[in-house]
Amino acid sequence: MAAQPKALHLEQANYLEGGGIYGWLTTIDHKRIAVLYGISALVLMALGGTEAMLVRAQLIVPNNHFLSADFYNQIFTMHGLTMIFLVLMPLETGFFGNFLIPLQIGARDVAFPRLNALSYWIFLLGAIALNLGWIFGGLPNGGWFGYANLTERAYAPGINIDYYDIGLLILGVSSVMSALNFFVTIVNMRAPGMTFMRMPMFIWALLVTVILILLAFPALTVGLIFLFADRYFGSHFYEVIAGATPMLWQHLFWIFGHPEVYIMALPAFGMISEVLPVFSRKPLFGYPMMAYSIILIAFLSYGVWGHHMFATGMGPVADSAFAITSMLIAIPTGVKVFSWIATVWGGRLRFTTAMLFALGFILEFTIGGLSGIMHASAPIDLEQTDSYFIVAHFHYVLFGGVLMAILAAFYYYFPKICGRFMNETVGKWHFWLTTIFFNCTFFPMHFLGEWGMPRRIYTYAPDMGWNFWNKFESISAFCLGASFLLFFANIAWSWFNGEHAGADPWDARTLEWSIPSPPPIYNFVKVPVVHSRDAFWVEKYGDVEASGLGEKRVNVEFLPPASPEEVAGIHIPAASLYPILMAGAIFLAGLGMLVGWFRLVFMGLGLLAFCAIAMSFEYREWGEDNPHQVSESFLGLDNRKLGVWSFIGSECVFFASLISTFMVYKSRSIGVPDAQILNIPLTSFSTFILLMSSLLMVLALAGFQRNNRFWGTFWLFGTAVFGLIFLGGQVYEFGSFYHEGMLYNSNLFSQCFYTLVGFHGFHVFIGVVWLITVAIAGMKGKIGSKRALSVELCGLYWHFVDIVWVVIFTLIYLMRTINRA
Amino acid sequence: MKPRNIKLKRASFMAAFLAMAGSLAGCASGGPYPLDTLSPKSDLTRSILSLFKEVTILDSIVLVVVIIAMIGAIFVYSSREGDPGEPSAMHSDVTLEMLWTVIPALILVAITVPTVHTIIRTQPETWPAETLEVKVIAHQWWWEFQYPSLGVITADEVHIPADRTIHFAMTSKDVIHSFFMPSVGGKRDVVPGQENQITLKADTPGEYYGQCTEFCGTSHANMRFRVFVDTPADFDKWVAHQNEPPVKPTEGAAAAGAKIWADAPCAICHTIKGVSGFSKDYTYGFRGPDLTHFGSRGTMAGSILKNTPENVALWIKNPDAVKPGANMPTLGLDGADLNNLVAYLESLK
Amino acid sequence: MSDHAIEHGHGVHAHAITEDHHPGAAVYLLVAVVLIVLTAMEIGVFYAPFLQAWLVPLLIILAVLKFILVAGFYMHLKYDSSVFTTLFAFPLLLAMMICGSLMLLFLYLGHHAG
Repeated sequence: MAAQPKALHLEQANYLEGGGIYGWLTTIDHKRIAVLYGISALVLMALGGTEAMLVRAQLIVPNNHFLSADFYNQIFTMHGLTMIFLVLMPLETGFFGNFLIPLQIGARDVAFPRLNALSYWIFLLGAIALNLGWIFGGLPNGGWFGYANLTERAYAPGINIDYYDIGLLILGVSSVMSALNFFVTIVNMRAPGMTFMRMPMFIWALLVTVILILLAFPALTVGLIFLFADRYFGSHFYEVIAGATPMLWQHLFWIFGHPEVYIMALPAFGMISEVLPVFSRKPLFGYPMMAYSIILIAFLSYGVWGHHMFATGMGPVADSAFAITSMLIAIPTGVKVFSWIATVWGGRLRFTTAMLFALGFILEFTIGGLSGIMHASAPIDLEQTDSYFIVAHFHYVLFGGVLMAILAAFYYYFPKICGRFMNETVGKWHFWLTTIFFNCTFFPMHFLGEWGMPRRIYTYAPDMGWNFWNKFESISAFCLGASFLLFFANIAWSWFNGEHAGADPWDARTLEWSIPSPPPIYNFVKVPVVHSRDAFWVEKYGDVEASGLGEKRVNVEFLPPASPEEVAGIHIPAASLYPILMAGAIFLAGLGMLVGWFRLVFMGLGLLAFCAIAMSFEYREWGEDNPHQVSESFLGLDNRKLGVWSFIGSECVFFASLISTFMVYKSRSIGVPDAQILNIPLTSFSTFILLMSSLLMVLALAGFQRNNRFWGTFWLFGTAVFGLIFLGGQVYEFGSFYHEGMLYNSNLFSQCFYTLVGFHGFHVFIGVVWLITVAIAGMKGKIGSKRALSVELCGLYWHFVDIVWVVIFTLIYLMRTINRA
Repeated sequence: MKPRNIKLKRASFMAAFLAMAGSLAGCASGGPYPLDTLSPKSDLTRSILSLFKEVTILDSIVLVVVIIAMIGAIFVYSSREGDPGEPSAMHSDVTLEMLWTVIPALILVAITVPTVHTIIRTQPETWPAETLEVKVIAHQWWWEFQYPSLGVITADEVHIPADRTIHFAMTSKDVIHSFFMPSVGGKRDVVPGQENQITLKADTPGEYYGQCTEFCGTSHANMRFRVFVDTPADFDKWVAHQNEPPVKPTEGAAAAGAKIWADAPCAICHTIKGVSGFSKDYTYGFRGPDLTHFGSRGTMAGSILKNTPENVALWIKNPDAVKPGANMPTLGLDGADLNNLVAYLESLK
Repeated sequence: MSDHAIEHGHGVHAHAITEDHHPGAAVYLLVAVVLIVLTAMEIGVFYAPFLQAWLVPLLIILAVLKFILVAGFYMHLKYDSSVFTTLFAFPLLLAMMICGSLMLLFLYLGHHAG
């Protein structure tokens, strides 16, 4: 297959060695990508922490002039954006997820290594895009939640919100791509014997997290697209003047936003569930209920978003419904807290720094959760929302909870990542200083909230009774910031000088501890076969319930290193330059939008398309069926097919958001044109064409599967032709509407129509490009006959786009007389 | 108990003690707190407080249980490396799991039922006949109040009679704000293109503070207001006063100021009833607060300044310096002109 | 989930056999004909004045039928592992829930209704 690193003895190399800078820029090894994410996120953590220090410095005394009002608004916005999108998420999924998922499930890498690298580079460039305001002025200043209509050009004329919009769109692509990758990896690449109920709890947590990412980000994407259209193309998705309402942004944002907080919380739960059992020498308590509670929390998280909007006047029915669902979600969360305590109960405890942070997590997260229950009661929330009480709540769950879990995971996994321990003495200082100053900074915010201090204010009057605690919090915050310097210093020092650690320094329970620290490039010499939960523990001590105090049956520290013969059969995919190039292309396109230079946008998109196509031909097995991967996979399915279906799932939410907006806005549209302009006969013809194109598509697939290259290719081109006819019909339709006076921003109907149908058309266009690419590959004999996977995958996408048209044709065209259901 | 991990134990108890001391200190440290959410002065806020008290008690019970369980798990019912004997391996107990699912569920039901009941009770769809309607219109960054049935328009300070149902109907002229008056009415977002409402009956006359609590731009922090709950008699007096025509000074600085008002562009945004006209479609004369009885207000500029001649002068001289981003332009007035104008405005009692 | 992990080693042919159960071109053509008929019926419902009262439920039923046909036959869900059907069904359900909730919230509840 692909090249292996030269001049390196694969059996002795660890993943950190070799390749030079070019090696790191083109790496597709999940462990290196994880380290890249980790370093970036830590730098961004320092940036976000500095932003917090600035906020607290401004608030230390009333009527302060340390920061101007406008700059303060930028800083608190950036603090939120940075911590959520650039620190917590990348650390949990990009860093720990990337590093650990393959190791914990006994795999050699993730399902799509190059996509993995691409996710990282897109993330990095998205982070830069979001932060360009530091260099050019005009950081985002509308809050991390960017409520419309404050974010419209009329009220935010500068480039600030454009950085926000485009930066988040870019970051969203990275997250969804990663999520798809991890989803397929966890579902399909587990080692033999590792059923769902035998997976480490961290894998459960990540599995559910990535499902949330796949199915929540599209709502945000659609919201951002509407904002983009408003700001760049003069539409009015959030502006009252056209009959629209800024409330649409809030709903779309929180339909994303609430799952987002669980996207941040669930991996932390997973980490705690890894650390506590190891340092208690006991299995995790109530494993099945812990798994089911994660699923239930994720499921419910889609039904609670309105609790962020209790003050917006949704009416008593909606308020009550969201209050009830929000209370419900506390039940599985409580189950987890009690299970963690029961895990520790009766165990043999070792108070390493990781364990201290994990124990601290339980308490701090519980406090945060309990204040959350208050907010879930809508009437109480009418006093608390938008006050410092909320600031206290989410810092307890996100800092005292999620961040402390991440810190626990750092101290726990650092030896595995680089083969050295972090300094435990410094670590313990770090823990105590963090705990003390964290509580000193954030607990008083409950009081300030009770005394009415609103959020997001750059200053306050001296006679409000808030002076003492603001000063107290600010000083505590400075100390808290200083304690993080200890953490960064510990990492930097320990990476080079820390005490050496072996493969299993903590006497742990899961598979990642059975291989050397740092791991070799290929992870496992032989793919392990799993027979139970806590597979590694059982291998060492014979039983899940063993205390670990007896003799080890297997001591991985004394396993001989792999021999060249053992390693020779292991395939390592080659490095690739395309991920970083593609990320650069996306960044160029984004930059072009920001400076208004549309030539740059097209150049960027063109480069992106070129690289995507080139990358898909990079590996020789492109288009070939991969019986090797399929037979080794847990479910006996092809990764790429799972990937395409996952992508389709994500697209369902994307189109649902667009369609919902159309349905909600069509009765609010003012004046003409309205749905009467739609040409049913023409569109009926287009619908027939698209349906028939699906027929041609399956005939093409059948052709290839019968090894009939001619007919396969013929029908593929036929499908493409029909797709082009459909697109031609769309172009004609849009053109005729334009001539009848329906511009993009004429009214609410026109903008919703053009956006929804336009995006569908764009999907058809991408499908046609994909079809032609596959057809050309087919002509050159590059398509395998057994399953003709590449044709099948293209077909799945094509049929999905057809199905979406079925929905659009029905709801938008045929139901055009229905103004309100 | 053996002296295990003395250092850890000591450190934890120290931390816990400090935490508790801190919490109590928080409760004890002095007021007054003008935006206090725990001093209800209306039926609405009293309902909210009683819910809050109930939830706080239940939350505290849960927290204490969790803390005791953690103390038990960490310090009492666990062993340390080197201790004799085998540690427990218990990792499943159906009874326990059922208990800690059902009991929290019951606690949550105990919270949810009064919650839903309060939601429905505090968001009525009909109002008694004598309800007073107050229209709240939010602007960047000040609050406008209108009493349609009484013909009064004012800003920064809203008066309501005690012991009478008040219906606040709120909308915004620009972006989303939030109308927060913790003692009297909790909060509700104020959204353009939409009319939100708060219904309440205040019971204790007094002056209460309010502030915008939805981030609305540069001077969000400076968008405050005052709520005056008057006795019915005082309220009637206030209404009568507001309905009087404005003072027309005939001599002195105030009279000179009146002339400056007539010449300056102030009337494009501000209305003084009977002195400067306003357009029926509310575009002319309504971009800034109504100044007809400006002198009778205790605060100004979004209730961030006391209404004194010095502050009025400061404001007119450079609004942006007082309130960053303020929509009011600098008029370039200074010296005697400024003082006269100030005198005139302050005379508008 | 399943405990037949060991069988995968020599299961590729077993799976290949299941996967290879493709319907012939005849089935695809038949499905295409049904799709055409259903679409014609949809357009008929649209134009028929006596059906206007039933427009919404009829169109929804017809659209759902087309959806199932394309998903089941063309996207091969009928013949593939049920994993894929689950993978598709769950987001679909969520999509419908989002659509339904937003329509409820905007059109029938609260003060931005109507």
